[in-house]
Amino acid sequence: MPSAGRKTVLRALLRDPMAALGLGLVTLFVAMALFAPWIAPADPIRLNVVEKFQPPSLAHLAGTDQLGRDLLSRIIYGARTALSIAITAVGLAGLAGLVLGMIAGFGPRWLDGLLVLLFDSLSSLPMIMFALAVITVMGPGTGTLILVVVLVSIPAYARLIRAQTLALAGADFIVAERAMGASGARILLRHMLPNVVGPLVILLSMDIPVVIMLEAGLSYLNLGVRPPTPSWGNILYDGYTSLRAAPYMVMIAGLPLVLSTLGFTFLGEGLRDALDPRLQGRGAR
Amino acid sequence: MTDELLAIEGLGVDLPSGGWLPSRGRPAINILSGVTLDLKRGETLGLVGESGSGKTTLARAVLGLQPISAGTLRFDGAPLESGSDFRAIRRRTALMFQDAAASLSPRMSVGEAVVEPFVIHRAPAGDRRAKALDLLAEVGLPPEMAARYPHELSGGQARRVGVARALALKPALVIADEPTAGLDVSVQAEILNLMADLKDRHGLSYLIITHNLALIRHVADRIAVLYLGRLVETGPTAEIFARPRHPYTQSLIAAEPRPDPRLRRADLAIRGEVPGILRRPTGCEFHTRCPIARDICRSTAPALHTIGTGHFARCHFPETTKKGG
Repeated sequence: MPSAGRKTVLRALLRDPMAALGLGLVTLFVAMALFAPWIAPADPIRLNVVEKFQPPSLAHLAGTDQLGRDLLSRIIYGARTALSIAITAVGLAGLAGLVLGMIAGFGPRWLDGLLVLLFDSLSSLPMIMFALAVITVMGPGTGTLILVVVLVSIPAYARLIRAQTLALAGADFIVAERAMGASGARILLRHMLPNVVGPLVILLSMDIPVVIMLEAGLSYLNLGVRPPTPSWGNILYDGYTSLRAAPYMVMIAGLPLVLSTLGFTFLGEGLRDALDPRLQGRGAR
Repeated sequence: MTDELLAIEGLGVDLPSGGWLPSRGRPAINILSGVTLDLKRGETLGLVGESGSGKTTLARAVLGLQPISAGTLRFDGAPLESGSDFRAIRRRTALMFQDAAASLSPRMSVGEAVVEPFVIHRAPAGDRRAKALDLLAEVGLPPEMAARYPHELSGGQARRVGVARALALKPALVIADEPTAGLDVSVQAEILNLMADLKDRHGLSYLIITHNLALIRHVADRIAVLYLGRLVETGPTAEIFARPRHPYTQSLIAAEPRPDPRLRRADLAIRGEVPGILRRPTGCEFHTRCPIARDICRSTAPALHTIGTGHFARCHFPETTKKGG
């Protein structure tokens, strides 16, 4: 891709105030996750029962929880948990969806039929039921969580890629490659791939908050990340159980969830708007 | 026959009308049938016909991009049957598309696009960048074009890039699908002159697919006219334009606009619409629109009649239709 194209996308993102806000929030959370050990004022799992339920103060900017742990540090480390799970899960699912979708769209018809059947079966399972079933079998934990997200998300990504691939298969430049004698692998990797990933990237960025919410939800139910690892979900749960003693905890734990969801959603929508006119312009040629 | 480059015999192409599940009672759609045609080394053959007459399908079938249901193909003396035969012909043949810009990979620069054939066939190209600039120079494009992307090209430039890519592996045969479509008249002339120059320089043979009679008259040595997937007339260009024998060819030539207001259009203009390929007329395909159709035309398909040297027409009454021209 020409670097000029990337610059125009960034410029279009910054021109749209919502997208710029999204980009800012996402950058903030990514920085929190990456530099948690340097940013966090205290150790997120060190207990200090003497200082439990402290409201926000200069010593503890976001207060402390029922075990006296510094909440701001737990939120910052929680970003690490949330983003690493969301990005790993969405990345793996995106990769698998990309490969399966391209195979379905470009491969023989029987294989396409088989894969579409598989996607339809997977997406007919209700997500929460499926997640609970997998957790029951494999036990709660980060790995299980990622597996559930990957399995549940593959069909949507694969269908998108399959549709893109099918639409491209009849395009003149693909027929031209075949007429020149190019192999199937070369056509797929060199000519299809760069033209189908764009929409997938948009979809993935809009799905990251969904996974963050799922992780928080399952951790809240004690089915996700195991304590004492900080997760926004289990901080929220701790806040809920201590609602009378420390009402600020729920709000502080909910804030990053709300902000990161909004941030990724705004960014995804901004990306879609920034990329779409260009895609249509290219398609019309 | 050593000067024969491409021989097509009794070519038929059917398109299955159903999906991938077995079905009953839905016959295949017959796109091409019984097309016999040959192309000599160094010759330019013009393939003429309306939209939907099967011109493009014929080109694709020759390259193995479209499975054939009947007939045989021979390229440079060797039959084209298996996948490896078609790999061989794809290396020695180049296809130029009607929409040149759309035939270029949108995220590949012009410089990469023109040397793509070398990469595909792992052919030694020396320095690929130098090779790309050579090819661009040969079609009259400046070196800075190598860094451009397809959407940054004008119609004429895209067409030249298409020609450069076609030339890359020094093909024996170039199949050009509507080489002047969508270009304005001065650019059309440039492209045609370029193609003629390159033909002389590299000893190319052309199969030019078009509905543009003025173009074909200018460039082709021989013409083949297709109607609804069947060859209706073939012969040397001068002969066809002077003495067209099939009423369809006559109508095509009569319908061609002439830049002289005093000349009245010949009255043998074509009537009606092309019948759908799903409902192929019985007997002679053209009888529904033919000005001289009689009973036999509705019931019996005519054979190819020899008119003169290398001039054939598929009509029951090739002698009675002397008008036109």
